[in-house]
Amino acid sequence: MASTPASPAAEGIRKAVVVGGNRTPFARANGAYAQASNQDMLTAALDGLVARFGLADERIGEVAAGAVLKHSRDFNLTREAVLGSALAPTTPAYDLQQACATGLETVMGLANKIKLGQIESAIAGGVDSASDAPIAVSEGLRAVLLELNRAKTLKQKAAAVAKLRPKDLAPVAPGTAEPRTGLSMGEHQALTTAAWEISRAAQDELALASHRNLAAAYERGFFDDLVTPYRGLTRDGNLRADTSLEKLGALQPVFGRSLGDKATMTAGNSTPLTDGASAVLIGSEDFARSRDLPMLASIVDAEAAAVDFVHGKEGLLMAPAYAVPRLLARHQLTFEDFDFIEIHEAFAGTVLCHLSAWESEEFCRNKLGLDAALGKIDPSKINVAGSSLAAGHPFAATGGRIVATLAKLLHEQAVSEGRRGRGLISVCAAGGMGVVAILEAC
Amino acid sequence: MADAYLKLVNSPPASVIAKKLGLPRPTELRRYRRGQPMVPGPVLVVASGAAEGLSGQLSGWGLEVRRRTAPGEKLGAIVLDLTTVSDPRELSEPMLAVGASLRDLAPGARVVSISRPADSASEPAAAAARQGVQGAVRSLARELRAGATANGLLLADGMDLADPGALGALQFLLSGRSAYVDGQFLLVGPGADQLPEDADRPLAGRTAVVTGAARGIGAAIAKVLHRDGARVVCVDLPAAGEELAKVSNAAGGTALQLDITSDDAGARILEHARSRYGGLDIMVHNAGITRDKLLANMDQARWDSVINVNLAAQLRINEALLASGAGQAPRVVCLASTSGIAGNRGQTNYAASKAGVIGMVGASAAAFAERGGAINAVAPGFIETEMTARIPWGTREVARRLLPSLQQGGLPVDVAEAVAFLAGDAAGGVNGRTLRVCGQSLVGA
Amino acid sequence: MSTDDVLLEELPSLSRLYVSAASTAARTKLGALERPLVLPPARHTVEDVRVSLEHVTRFQHLLHGTVRDSLPSVFVHSAAFPVGMSILARTDFPLPLLGMVHLGNRVRHLRSIHFSEPLAITAWADNLAGHYAGTQVDLHVTVSSAGKPVWEGVSTYLAKGVFLPGLDKQTRPPREDFVPPRPTATWRLGPEAGREYAGVSGDFNPIHLSSLSARVLGLKRSIAHGMYLASRVLTSIESVAAEKFEWDIRFAAPVFLPATVAVRIEDEEAGGRWGASCFVGWGERSHRKHFQGTARAL
Repeated sequence: MASTPASPAAEGIRKAVVVGGNRTPFARANGAYAQASNQDMLTAALDGLVARFGLADERIGEVAAGAVLKHSRDFNLTREAVLGSALAPTTPAYDLQQACATGLETVMGLANKIKLGQIESAIAGGVDSASDAPIAVSEGLRAVLLELNRAKTLKQKAAAVAKLRPKDLAPVAPGTAEPRTGLSMGEHQALTTAAWEISRAAQDELALASHRNLAAAYERGFFDDLVTPYRGLTRDGNLRADTSLEKLGALQPVFGRSLGDKATMTAGNSTPLTDGASAVLIGSEDFARSRDLPMLASIVDAEAAAVDFVHGKEGLLMAPAYAVPRLLARHQLTFEDFDFIEIHEAFAGTVLCHLSAWESEEFCRNKLGLDAALGKIDPSKINVAGSSLAAGHPFAATGGRIVATLAKLLHEQAVSEGRRGRGLISVCAAGGMGVVAILEAC
Repeated sequence: MADAYLKLVNSPPASVIAKKLGLPRPTELRRYRRGQPMVPGPVLVVASGAAEGLSGQLSGWGLEVRRRTAPGEKLGAIVLDLTTVSDPRELSEPMLAVGASLRDLAPGARVVSISRPADSASEPAAAAARQGVQGAVRSLARELRAGATANGLLLADGMDLADPGALGALQFLLSGRSAYVDGQFLLVGPGADQLPEDADRPLAGRTAVVTGAARGIGAAIAKVLHRDGARVVCVDLPAAGEELAKVSNAAGGTALQLDITSDDAGARILEHARSRYGGLDIMVHNAGITRDKLLANMDQARWDSVINVNLAAQLRINEALLASGAGQAPRVVCLASTSGIAGNRGQTNYAASKAGVIGMVGASAAAFAERGGAINAVAPGFIETEMTARIPWGTREVARRLLPSLQQGGLPVDVAEAVAFLAGDAAGGVNGRTLRVCGQSLVGA
Repeated sequence: MSTDDVLLEELPSLSRLYVSAASTAARTKLGALERPLVLPPARHTVEDVRVSLEHVTRFQHLLHGTVRDSLPSVFVHSAAFPVGMSILARTDFPLPLLGMVHLGNRVRHLRSIHFSEPLAITAWADNLAGHYAGTQVDLHVTVSSAGKPVWEGVSTYLAKGVFLPGLDKQTRPPREDFVPPRPTATWRLGPEAGREYAGVSGDFNPIHLSSLSARVLGLKRSIAHGMYLASRVLTSIESVAAEKFEWDIRFAAPVFLPATVAVRIEDEEAGGRWGASCFVGWGERSHRKHFQGTARAL
C-alpha cells in the first residue's frame, strides 16, 4: 500500500471522457475472421469508430492499441492500421502490450495524456487474432538462420547449415502457457478455482448469466452504436442465447483434470480463443463539446497490480483482487458506491475467486492488510450487459469492449435516472497482472 | 454493374459496326463535374413571346445566349419558353424552330421547355395547348441522340420566370445533374426564397440523413449530398456493418446503425441529428427492399416486410419529423420507383409500396410546407446497382437498352443528383412531386 | 590411507572416459581385471579451467533461464563433471561406471561465480556404502577460485546389483505413499530432452540419448538426466534465491521420455527475504514421484 498516493487526481488536472466506442463482433477462432489479420481487424474497428463520430480525415491526438499475439512484421501495428483507416494520415500512433490488460491500459495511458493537456483526443484500442497467430521457426532453425546471416565465407555458411536437424524444421505456434511455469492459463486458474473451492454450479451459473445478459443487450439494441458488423458476423460468434444450465452442466472439464473430482472448468465456463478488435474514442471535455460529441463517462483513475504466482504464492489471475482495494482506498469508496461492476470473465472461476477473496476476512486481513473483509458485491451489478464468457475474449480487444460498454451503461443510467453513477472495471492478465479502473457518468 | 456494351459501342471499330447494324448506340451521359460549364455550348432561346427576361437570366449565369443558330455552331441547350401559349395553333412556330436546330445540338445537350400546367388553365384551348407541349416535348426527347435530353418545366400560373424556384429547376434540368432525367415535366410552384449562394455547394451547412446508405443508390446519395456541402448522417441496419462505415467515412459523415422499422427510429434519427449537428434539414428515405414473387405465390411475410420497410417506416418517421415541433420541418426526399408507376410483374408488393410513396408525398406536401419543409419523391428507372446486376441477362438488357430513350441504365449518382436537387433551395418551388430518373423508360411512360 | 593427489593437465574427455569405462567393464567381465573392494584414495584436480561463454549461454537457453554473466549452479556441476567422472572411471574404482544410477546431490553454492573466473576443480570419492539395491558411493567435487572454494557438491551414485563383500545390504524402506500436491508448474519434455541436455552438459550417457541406446542398457526408453531436472528447478529458484545458498535433490522414479512432469516449488521467507524453497516433481499422469529437494539461503 506504500506506493499508493494519498489523494485522488490532483487538482487542476482536467477530465478525460469516453465519447464512445466501436468494436467488431468477436468471432470464435478460425471462424468468420480466420482470414483477417490483426491489422485488418483493427482498421475495421477504427473505421467504424470514425464513421460513428464523423472523424473522417481528422487528425486525432494519438492512437494507441496493441495485440497480444503479434507478428514481428506488425512492429508498428497501430500506426499501420491508422494509415489504412479513414483517419488523417497525420495521426500518430503507438503500440502497447500488457497481455490481456492491453486494451484497458491504452485507455488509461491516453486518458492521462489528455488529463495532462498533452492531447485533446485519442483512440485507444486492441485487437487479437487466435486464427492468424504468428508461427515462429524453431529455436534451432532460428539459430542456424542467424548464424548463416552472420557467416561470411562459404565454409562458415556450410558449417552453419550443417547444424540444422530435421526437428528444427517443425514450426512453433504460440501457446497460452505461462513461460515460467509451463502451465496454461486455464490450468493456473483451475488450481486457484480449486483452492477457493468454487463449485462447478456457481461457474456455470455465471456463464449462463453472461450469455443471457449479452443476448438481452443485443436484443434491446444496446450494441447498435457499439458494434460494427464485420465480414458477415453481426453478433459475437460465441454468444449462445439459448444455452442453459443443463447444456453447460453436460460439458466435460477441460482444465484441472489432474485435480480429479475437483476439476470444474469446462469449455462453457471458460472463454474460447477469439478474434476481434475494439476501439474507444476519448477526449477532453472541450474536444467533445466543440464537436457536439457525446460525453458518456469520465475516466477517473486506474490501478495496476501484480502477484507472485511463479512458485504458487498466489493464483495467476488474482492480481485484480489486490488492485481493486488499492484503488478503492485511494478514492475512499466501497462496493456500495458503484452502480456497475465489470469483471472480465477470463474464466467464470476467475470472477468467483475475486468475489470470494473480497468476501473473505482472512484474505483481506492477511493478504490485503485490511481490518475486515472488503465486502460482497450485489450480483445484479456485475457484467449486466454480458462479458467475455459470452462475447469471447480477443485478448487485447477486451479492455476496449468493457470501457465502451460500461461508459454507455453509465450514460444510459444518467439519462434515465438523472444520476451520475459510477462503474468499476477489473481485468486480469497473464504474468500475474491485473488492471482496474473507475469510470463515472458525465 | 459495369455496362460493358456501353463501353464497347463507344470504342472506334465497334461504333461504326453498331451504326451500320442499327444497334442501339448509347453515349456516355454528360454528368455534373465541378468546374464544368452548366451546358456544353451556347443556349438557343426560343420563345412564343418576348424572351428578354429569360435571356437576361441565362446570360447572368454566364451562358452564351442565341436567338438563332449560327452555322456550324453546336448548341449546348435549347430553352423553349411557352408560358404564354393559349391556343394549340401557337405551338407550331416555336416547335418547328426547335426542330430546325436539333441537328445543331452538341452531345449531352438539353432541351427544356417552360410552360404552364394544363389543369389550371381557364380555357379548354389553353389547356389543350399546355397539354400539347408535354406530348411534343416527350416525343422530341425520343428523337434526341448522343445523351441529349428534353424535359419540361411546368410553371404555376401567376409565377414569373424570374422566380427563384423556376430558375433553380431550370438550372437543374440544364446541368449535368439531370443526366438521366429525360422526357419529364416538373411542376414548380411558389415557395422558393432564393437560389443557393454557391452553386457548387448548394447544401452547405445543411444536415442530411440518408437511410439505406450502406450501398448502391443510398451510398451515392450520401456522397453527392456531401459533395454538395451537406453533413451527412448515414443510416442503415446494424448488419450493414463495415460498408456503412466506409460510406459515411467517404462522405465525411457519421454512421447511425438503426433499423428504420423500429418504433423509435424517427426519434433516434432526430436525436442524433440534433445532438451532433444541432438539427435536421434534409431527410432522404432511401432504404428499401424487394421480396419479389408473383402475387399467386406471395406470402404474408414477403408482402408485409416490403410494405413495412419501404412505406410504413417512412410514414412513421415523417410523423415524428412533423410532430417534433422544434424548428423548421426538413426537406424530405423519398425513393419511389417506376415500378410503382407502371407496375412490374412479380412486384405487386414492391409496386404497392412505391406507388404508396408517391401517394404519401402528394398528401404530405401541405403539412410539410406549413412547417417550412417540403416532401418529394424520386422514381428511379433501371439503375445499374448490385441489385439490378442480379436480374437475368435478357431481362436486364431489355430494361437498360431498349426501354429508355437514353438506351442505357442510369447510375446511382443520377438518382443521387435528383435527390440532392430536391433536397436543396433550388427545388424550393417543388413540393409533393415525384420526379422520375429513368432515361425516359417506356415503363411507366 | 594416504591420499594420492593427481593433477590432470586438462579436463578429461567424457566420451573417452565412457569408452575406457566400457573397456574396463569388458575386461572385468572376461576376468582380465579385478576390481578392488575399497575406494581409491585419489583426488583428481584440474586447474585453470575456463568456461566458454557460448557454452554457458547454450545451457541457459536450454533451461529457459536468463542469460547472465554468472554461472547457474547446475552448470558448475556439469563443468566439473568430467573431473568427477575421471574418478569413477579409474580402473581401480570398485564400482562399474556404466549403468550407475544417480541418487541425489547436495550442493553448497558459496558465491556468485563469473563466467570469466579461472576455476580449480578437485574431485574424490568416499562413503562407499550398502544400499538395498546395490552399492552407493559419494562423489565430491570442489570448485575453487583464487584459492577459495566457491562451489562444493556431493553426488551420490548407486551401482545397481553390485554388492561388495564387507558392506551390509540395507533393507528396502517401505514405499511411501505419494499424494501429489497442487503443482506450480508443468514441464513437457520431448523425446529429445536427453540429447539436448547431453549437448550442453557433455554427459552423453547412452541411457539419456535414445530409446535404442537406452534399451541396450536394459531400460525400456531413454530417461531424462537427473541434473536436467535439478537444473530446471534451480533455474526457477535461482531467479529469487540469495547469492549464497545450498540445495539438495533426491531422485526417485526415473523420468522416461517423453514425459509431462508436474512440479511444485514452495518458497519460504525469512526476515522478509527468500529463505528457502522446497520442491517436488512427479509424473503428471502417473503420480509417481521423480524427485524432491530443497534450496536454502546460506
